[in-house]
Amino acid sequence: MMSSIPSPIPVLSPLRMQRHPRAVVALMVVLLFAGGGLMMHAESQIQVLGLLAAFLAVFAIADRTPLGQEISAMCGDYGGFANGVAFVCALSLIAVFHGEHYTLLMLATVALFSTACIALNLQLAFAGIANFAGAAFFVLGSYTAAVLTAYTEVPHLMILMVAGLVTGATGVILLLPVLRTRGHYAALVTIAFGLLLRSLLEVNDTLGGPQGMKIKGFSAFGLDFNLISSIGPWDVSFYLPYAVLSISIFAVAFTLIRRIERSWIGIALDTVRCDETAASVFGLSIARWKVVAFLIGNAVIGVAGALYGMMNGFVTPNGSGLGDSLLMLSIIVLGGLGNFWGAVVAAMVILVIPEKLQAIQEYRLLIFALLVLAILLFRPSGILPRPIRDLSRFIGRPGADA
Amino acid sequence: MSAPLLTCGGLTMRFDGLVALDGLDIEVAKGETVGLVGPNGSGKTTFFNVVTGLYKPSAGSVLLDARDLFAKPPQMIGRAGVARTFQRSRLMLDQSVFDNIVVGALCRLDLGLLTNLFRRRRWSDELGLMFERARALAQRFNPVIADRLFQPAGSFTMIDRRRIEICRALIGTPRLLLLDEPSAGMTHDETRQLMDDLLAFRQEMPDLAVILVEHEMDVIRRVSDRCVVLNFGRKIFEGSFDALIANPDVQTAYLGVSQ
Repeated sequence: MMSSIPSPIPVLSPLRMQRHPRAVVALMVVLLFAGGGLMMHAESQIQVLGLLAAFLAVFAIADRTPLGQEISAMCGDYGGFANGVAFVCALSLIAVFHGEHYTLLMLATVALFSTACIALNLQLAFAGIANFAGAAFFVLGSYTAAVLTAYTEVPHLMILMVAGLVTGATGVILLLPVLRTRGHYAALVTIAFGLLLRSLLEVNDTLGGPQGMKIKGFSAFGLDFNLISSIGPWDVSFYLPYAVLSISIFAVAFTLIRRIERSWIGIALDTVRCDETAASVFGLSIARWKVVAFLIGNAVIGVAGALYGMMNGFVTPNGSGLGDSLLMLSIIVLGGLGNFWGAVVAAMVILVIPEKLQAIQEYRLLIFALLVLAILLFRPSGILPRPIRDLSRFIGRPGADA
Repeated sequence: MSAPLLTCGGLTMRFDGLVALDGLDIEVAKGETVGLVGPNGSGKTTFFNVVTGLYKPSAGSVLLDARDLFAKPPQMIGRAGVARTFQRSRLMLDQSVFDNIVVGALCRLDLGLLTNLFRRRRWSDELGLMFERARALAQRFNPVIADRLFQPAGSFTMIDRRRIEICRALIGTPRLLLLDEPSAGMTHDETRQLMDDLLAFRQEMPDLAVILVEHEMDVIRRVSDRCVVLNFGRKIFEGSFDALIANPDVQTAYLGVSQ
């Protein structure tokens, strides 16, 4: 009843803002992306610290003040629009930094790791499967690309898909035997898989042993990405097409998993996670939904891993350890379980900031640990908590959002 | 009377040494409300868990419409038309009321990846349909719930949560509804309201069979057509409520042997 009474302090929420919600949302997204772009571009420590402070300030305002909360709510209400603007902004960033290898590499890396983290969100935040082998599946995707580019002439777009199939199928094979069990067996199996995969890669000579394998650069549509040095009159970095493709893969994965969340399947997954007893009483097959989430999640991770490997030109067993998998999980915990943009923000925090702040590089793991602890203590639902699923906006509007 | 909807014959459930159900025979007809009573630990909830497929019985059979419920995997039982509520509320408190209610019908909805991901128009049509049904159901219990279908279930009072659970059980249009102590943890007033709710929807769904577990004898008296009393997993009484009150075996089970 209280909420229907107009707020007595309308000073901070000018009517004009409410009349043009899309403009406000677009402005916010553009500002955030401009900040993120500057962060990836920044070279002096002062700049980085300044930007960090600015982000914290924006976050505090959005979180604590009525105006900020109103704008955040608006961004939520116009989520689909905001996502569209975000995609355009990301492409614009690529255009702005078209010649800078390092910035574009970082952008593509953030996009691909965010993609993997969204997939982990599908598994952990929705279906409740803790996958402690995220990095292992990622690297498995890279190795698939390495083997296929080295020994076959499979078109590279197809390689991305095959990598997804390989990681997806591997995941299902791991999960099938423990489907009858409840509790943490699935998590244990993923840990074991990560360790085994790493040892296997290290001792297997055809896969390059500890040195890993070279991977040919990506080429599609008659373009070899590694040879691109100009588009029309502009000199561009060869990372530019990788950045565009990474962002596109991110967008596809984002849309796919968002639609899963906001559909009957999302409700089924949440039910399976929250209460297996209720799920089975109401006729849901727990095994089926766990398999679906695990399969799709790992397939997405594999695709991201394959492109990451092709972009870097090599893959080693190093990135597949338990530590790397834990880092991925801590990204989604930090960002907020079930919140995709939260995962992107956290991926920025974990991947970009240590690169930029040399002072903390040595202590990065220590600082992550403290950060995750602080988040769990003071803001357990993460930087950006998962919003409640509000299907009312889709009634009669199938195209809304996502 | 026509053939019963639910027929349990010689239903036995053993957990290692403990016999929770011991050769139980229960029949429930279409449209009938059976009150199931008995002291704590007498097997009432175990009976529900067996009928909903959570436990596989050690012996005996459960037939729904003369078809064996255990011939298929447990999740098929929900699809065959058996729904229940739980003694301790089992809602997803962070999720919206609508999400919680629709769980009861999910297995009848189109859960295909294709429809949910790409044929969004079809999905949205189904969503609209479910929304209307959920709203109509919630409206029957409490208009406040119907108005706040997209608020988290955790923001509701205990009695409203129980109502949401009953809506969840009803939205799949079950043929048999199992209510496990709906009045647990409620005040006298709330219990009375809930009783009125039960009587109201009983009238609107004359074909629905209900088994009601309750300790609140007032609820049993007002709502049930017939009573069954369990003790140590065995049926010790079956008949009308008045006969139940007068039955010496029942008194002994509840109050102990008189000195």
